[in-house]
Amino acid sequence: MPSSRTVGLVVNGESRSLDVEPRTLLVHALRDGLGLTGAHIGCDTSQCGACTVLVDGRAVKSCTMLAVQAEDVEVTTIEGFAPDGVQHPIQRAFVEQHGLQCGFCTPGMILTASDLLSREPDPDDATIRRALKGNFCRCTGYQSIVDSVRTAAAALREGDAA
Amino acid sequence: MIPAAVEHVRPETLDEALDALTDPEAKALAGGQSLLPVMKLRIVRPSVLVDIGRLGLGGVQLGDNELRLGALATWDTLESAPELKRPSLAALAGCAAEIGDLQVRNRGTLGGSLAHADPASDMPAVVLALGAEVVVRDARAERKLSAEKFFLGPFTTALAPGELITEVVFPLVEGSGSAYAKVEHPASGFALAGAAAHVTPDGKRSVAVTGVGAHPFLLPADADPLDALTEAEIYGDRFAPTEYRRHLAGVVVRRALDRARENMEKAA
Amino acid sequence: MTESVIGVARARVDAPDKVTGATRFAADGHVHGLLHARLVLSPEAHALIQRVERNAALAMPGVVAVLTADDLPLTGAGSDRTTEPLARTEVVFAGQPVALVVAENEAAAEDAVEAVVVQYEPLPAVVDVEDAMLPGRALARVVEEEAGGGDMESIHAGVDNGQEDGDEEQLSDNVLDTVHRSSGDATALLETSDVVVSGTFRTPWVYQAYIEPQVATAWLEPNETLVVSTSTQGSFVTQRELARAFGLPLERIRVVAEPLGGAFGGKLALMEPLAAGAALALRRPVRVVLTRAEDFQATNPASAQVTHLKLGARKDGTLTALTARMIVDRGSNAGWGVEGITTLLVAGPYRWKAHDIRGYGVQTNRFTFGAYRGPGAPTAAFALETLLDELAAELEVDPLELRLQNAVVEADVGVSGNPFPRMGAVEVLERIREHPLWKTRASLPADEGVGVAAGYWPGGTEPAAAVCRVNQDGTMTVVTSAVDMSGVNTGFAAIAAETFGLSPDQIRVVAADTATGPYSGASAGSKVTYTVGAAVLKAAEAAREKLLKAASEELEIAPADLEVVDGAVRAVGSPDHSITVAEISAKALRFGGRYEPIEGHGGSAQTRGAPSVAAHLAHVRVDQETGEVTLLAHVIAQDVGRALNPALVEGQMRGGVAQGIGWALFEELVHDESGQLLTSSFLDYAIPLADRVPDIDTLIVEVPAPDGPFGAKGIGEAPVIAAAPAIANAVAAAVGIRLRELPMTAPRVWAALEDAQA
Repeated sequence: MPSSRTVGLVVNGESRSLDVEPRTLLVHALRDGLGLTGAHIGCDTSQCGACTVLVDGRAVKSCTMLAVQAEDVEVTTIEGFAPDGVQHPIQRAFVEQHGLQCGFCTPGMILTASDLLSREPDPDDATIRRALKGNFCRCTGYQSIVDSVRTAAAALREGDAA
Repeated sequence: MIPAAVEHVRPETLDEALDALTDPEAKALAGGQSLLPVMKLRIVRPSVLVDIGRLGLGGVQLGDNELRLGALATWDTLESAPELKRPSLAALAGCAAEIGDLQVRNRGTLGGSLAHADPASDMPAVVLALGAEVVVRDARAERKLSAEKFFLGPFTTALAPGELITEVVFPLVEGSGSAYAKVEHPASGFALAGAAAHVTPDGKRSVAVTGVGAHPFLLPADADPLDALTEAEIYGDRFAPTEYRRHLAGVVVRRALDRARENMEKAA
Repeated sequence: MTESVIGVARARVDAPDKVTGATRFAADGHVHGLLHARLVLSPEAHALIQRVERNAALAMPGVVAVLTADDLPLTGAGSDRTTEPLARTEVVFAGQPVALVVAENEAAAEDAVEAVVVQYEPLPAVVDVEDAMLPGRALARVVEEEAGGGDMESIHAGVDNGQEDGDEEQLSDNVLDTVHRSSGDATALLETSDVVVSGTFRTPWVYQAYIEPQVATAWLEPNETLVVSTSTQGSFVTQRELARAFGLPLERIRVVAEPLGGAFGGKLALMEPLAAGAALALRRPVRVVLTRAEDFQATNPASAQVTHLKLGARKDGTLTALTARMIVDRGSNAGWGVEGITTLLVAGPYRWKAHDIRGYGVQTNRFTFGAYRGPGAPTAAFALETLLDELAAELEVDPLELRLQNAVVEADVGVSGNPFPRMGAVEVLERIREHPLWKTRASLPADEGVGVAAGYWPGGTEPAAAVCRVNQDGTMTVVTSAVDMSGVNTGFAAIAAETFGLSPDQIRVVAADTATGPYSGASAGSKVTYTVGAAVLKAAEAAREKLLKAASEELEIAPADLEVVDGAVRAVGSPDHSITVAEISAKALRFGGRYEPIEGHGGSAQTRGAPSVAAHLAHVRVDQETGEVTLLAHVIAQDVGRALNPALVEGQMRGGVAQGIGWALFEELVHDESGQLLTSSFLDYAIPLADRVPDIDTLIVEVPAPDGPFGAKGIGEAPVIAAAPAIANAVAAAVGIRLRELPMTAPRVWAALEDAQA
């Protein structure tokens, strides 16, 4: 049985070292190793997006990346998305526009939206919907989520401090 | 779901990676978007993963006569690269944009997908229709395989043990147009039928289909593509029976050809 | 007066935690010494278990135990999922849990599952539900078990099964239950009707597809209390089920319902017996968290159903009679099925002069049936609302007008034999009639169409209680044991705020567990706001009475002359004469204090349901080349009683419609002929994604429920019911084909178009 090894991860701006097996998925390392349970596991097949985190600012399904692949890159989870405790404009928009119900998909939705808005500051609804294709929601019917992302985009364009 | 136990090495250089890949139980790990899902299902159980993800093989190089794409170019790169925003290469960018989802496109790579050779994956059709060559290397030598000779069956390619895709080279044809069209499976997003078409000003056309057979394939250049499909061996399954898939293949072939011609006109 | 908070959109009370990752779902909590379990599932649909070979698995690193049914301290009789969480001798569906591998970590458990070898003696698999009913057919269960005594049916929709009668058909023992509802001579009336339409409709097994897979964690406290922390819709019902399984007194079981990552009917006492059984057997904490593949195979989706339906009408559009034969595939569920409710709802929100409806609950070797949002309703509505459209076409009348003409009003007697309470069937149909989409439907481009359909949900009831406690700082804590599945806690805050006289920001709603909380039933059957909300209202009133009594002494003004505004009690007409809630509470909650704590307990026992009805418009485009149906727009008008928080109400309406889109176009669990599941991942089972759901226009209609808090009623289930038939009717309007089977996948639509052309 391959032995575990120590990997250095940079998570939410902090350097962390963690013992993992080479096969350990990033999502398990975050949840079980670091207690960052905002990344959720919802499917086996790299589809639902509940485990989405940012890797160097880009949305990635942490169930489809090994922890060892994340060595020395910047990982941001929902817990570190608003480091100073003030809600990020995307988070605020999800609260105000009712962009969640059960909330299980919400961290992934927010982080995918962050990736989208970092490249497309003013996306139309079709662009938002296409960007969220890899984030399943069973509660909302998506419309309030699209509203949230559109609202967040406007806030960010207006220079709302993150 | 968790993969079976595996070792992981991250070589510093391509040569070291090729050395590591001489282990017959080794598998190259690039973005992992094809490999890790099948490892989680434990369909694939390598003893060691050779992590090539940081070898810097992701470049996009546009020359006068050819486009060279590094094996580690991600779908996201292909979707957004300015070099690919031309009518002759529209199939590449257009296809990349339709693969998986945003997160998958951020990590999934050209080389990884071609090596995985899912019979319903999109990009092989484009690689075929554009007449690309797949550059592969092992610890001893490099060789070039025409795309047509690369795909042999479901999840089966002409890659020999120990070989790694390093680059895919696309010839450039002045004034041509290309396009990719697909109808996706509503669950997996893979192609129920996908077609890539490439048309050139001298009236030549090249059309390849994916998702409908054991592997993606080129339609004969000298026959009507729709006639060729009536002869082709088409897969059927529970969701999409053979008759429907054959029909769908005809639809996407026509759509791809129409869009490729539109793109060629834009080029003119 | 303070402005009312009822009817005002406010953010959910749980939203801040959910957007920051602070919410701890049931798989998230850290438990010291936790073991992880993985299931060994049967690959056979029907077989006898001969032998479980576990030594190889036990020898693997990290493996603590491989448990079979005999290893769990089960005492309850029966072969339901509570009393037989692991198959004892007979497996009755592929995917049934047979053993539990428990290990120090998930990876080790997953590794060891592969090493457990189970030998089976295969038996004939019963997979064709109609064939299974015939006398002499092989049975889906051959080993006799004493019946259990669960109460799962009443959780969702307590409906009776119509009358017993003597003219029994010859049926096999796979038929577990028959229902017969009749009134008048329906057959004779159909014969004399001017127009009659009929059809056989098939709907598949459909998966709840909550995004959080099923999970439960169980451990023993040092005092031998069994604690179960779980993702469930109901804590008290889970406690009762565990007591039934393990023969424990209720006081020894404490069930903690964690924040729920979606459920929609599917999360009730499936995982807890496994986790609790393992924890009791091993005396260590055990967590069972399903992979998605396990969740697809081993849980409890909605039944497949076959509905034979015939309707008649007079030339003037008056509906005459309906006859129906409805076959419900219960899979392995011997405890309950939807034949009771689906035979009720197949009549829809319409008046009939006669009816003859038969329902059959049939066991097969497929899954264990479970509830899914409006159980038995979408299947019935698909048949009824399709045929109503065909009837309208035959009569050459507007399909919406036909529905309006026959829509029930208060006191019309339904097929249950009981009069309908006030319900806005006419109102919702009138609202969509005025919608631009309906008015302009004649001028759509080719291959586009608009369809209409309606459906209702009777609404459940169950006694419930709540506590409202004012804290020393003048804020209020509302305590219930209701699981917040749909935003009910946000509604409770509004109800308490409005009733007591605080701002909703000053109210915190907490969900208590079975050791500490007031009673509440499961969050199911569209009843929580209607029942627990009513209890919260009474609790807030009781707390307010105590507040006014204390304030009356402080201000020396009679309680009747006091009002509570913005967190202060003041004299009516003399606002300067006041004392804050915080000041009063501080005087009560201290050593030597003079007043009773400002705290109220309230209960409710609703005796009549408050049905909710919704009407839909769907606008589709059909790609005639590929058969793909694209939903371009959708409109829903729903009678919600009173929208306590319109934003949340709209969220329920849109979410229900989205699931209805899944029924219509995408969702289908498929078995092969041997009972093997062919769709055990989201790669095979499609649900509506962001790019396939259009904007959904919501029209809130308020016909107050007399007994509901501020007129509110349960609204969660109604919006899903008639979405699929509206889409089916839109497809028919667009391209002239009518599918009798859901979902309307591209290959099916294409085949139907081909047939129509041939």
